[in-house]
Amino acid sequence: MKNSALYKGSLNTIIMKLLEEKGRMYGYEITQKVKAITLGELTITEGALYPALHKLEAEGLLEVEVEKVDNRLRKYYKLTEKGNKETVNRLAELEEFIRNMQSIVNPKLSY
Amino acid sequence: MELKVNQEQIDRLYRFTREHFVEHYDLQTELVDHLSNAIEEQWKENPKLSFEDALQKEFKKFGVFGFMDVVEQRQAALNKKYNLLIWKHFKEFFTIPKIVITISLVIGLFYFFKYVFFYELMALGMILWFVFLIIALFYEKKKMKKRKSQTGKKWMFEEIIFGYGSFSGVFVFPLHVINGFTNFGNEIPNYYVLFGISFFLVSLFLATYVVTKIIPSKAEEYLNQTYPEYAFSN
Repeated sequence: MKNSALYKGSLNTIIMKLLEEKGRMYGYEITQKVKAITLGELTITEGALYPALHKLEAEGLLEVEVEKVDNRLRKYYKLTEKGNKETVNRLAELEEFIRNMQSIVNPKLSY
Repeated sequence: MELKVNQEQIDRLYRFTREHFVEHYDLQTELVDHLSNAIEEQWKENPKLSFEDALQKEFKKFGVFGFMDVVEQRQAALNKKYNLLIWKHFKEFFTIPKIVITISLVIGLFYFFKYVFFYELMALGMILWFVFLIIALFYEKKKMKKRKSQTGKKWMFEEIIFGYGSFSGVFVFPLHVINGFTNFGNEIPNYYVLFGISFFLVSLFLATYVVTKIIPSKAEEYLNQTYPEYAFSN
C-alpha cells in the first residue's frame, strides 16, 4: 500500500470489493490482483494485508476455506452473508467520499 | 516449465516462520503459502535465483519487525472474536427460555443474602470461586500441553479458548470486590444494593460458566470453523 493514510483507510473496502467480484481469494492473490488492476500504482504490503483479513474475519465479515494446493495448504477468504451486506454499505460510502473529494479538489468538475 | 517450491523447501519455510517468532501453526501455514507464492513469482522472472535469496528478499517486504506485526494483530483479532463469542453465549442467559434460570438465580441469591448475609460468607465464596478457576485453568493448560506434544502444533484460537483469553483478567476482579466490602463494616446493605450484588454475582457466575464450560465444550466446532486446516493436520 502506498504510504498514505488516504489509501490505508480504504484497505478493507478494497479487499471486500475484490472478494465480492471474485468469490474467494487467498492473501497473495489479493496483493497481485491489486497490483495488476492499478498497473503497479498500488501495492498492498504483507504487513497490512493479513492483519486486515484477520480483523474482517474476526468481525464475521469473512470466512475461511482451506485447500491443499501444490503440496501446501492454502487459505481462501470469502465474504459471509453479513460481509456481503457490509460491502454494499462501504462501497456506497467510499463512492460518496470520492464524489465529495472531487468537488472540493476540482470544483469545476462538479455540477 | 515453471519452478515450484518443493516439500523440503516448504519444511524449511515452516522452520523459518518459527525462527521468526511465529509459534502458531495456523499463522505459519498462511505465511508459508504466501512466501511460496512470492518465491515462485520471483522464479518466473529469474529462474536462477536461489531459494534462500528469494526468501530473504520476500521477508524484507514484511518490514523491520518481520512477522511480529502480523502475529500481534492476529492475536488481537482472535481475542476480539473470542470476546464476541463469550458475549453471544452470555446474552443467551437473558433471552427466553434461559432468562428464567437467570432470574431465579438472582432472586434466590437475593433472599439467601437477605436472611443469612454476612461478609465472611461472601468472602469465602469468592475465594473458593477463585481457587476453582485457578485449578481449572491449570488443568486446561496441562491438557493443551499434552495435545501439543502429540501433534507438535499450536493453534492460537485453541490457546485462547482453553486459556480463557483476556477473561482470566476478570478472575481477579472479585478480590477487589471483597476489598471494597470490608469498608462497609458489618451492616447489611439496603435491598437495592443487595439486589445489585446478587445480580452482579450471578452475571459473573454465568460468564464464568460460559468461559469454562460452554465454550470449551464447543471448542471443536469453533476451531473447525476458524481453522478449516484443522481437519487436514490432525
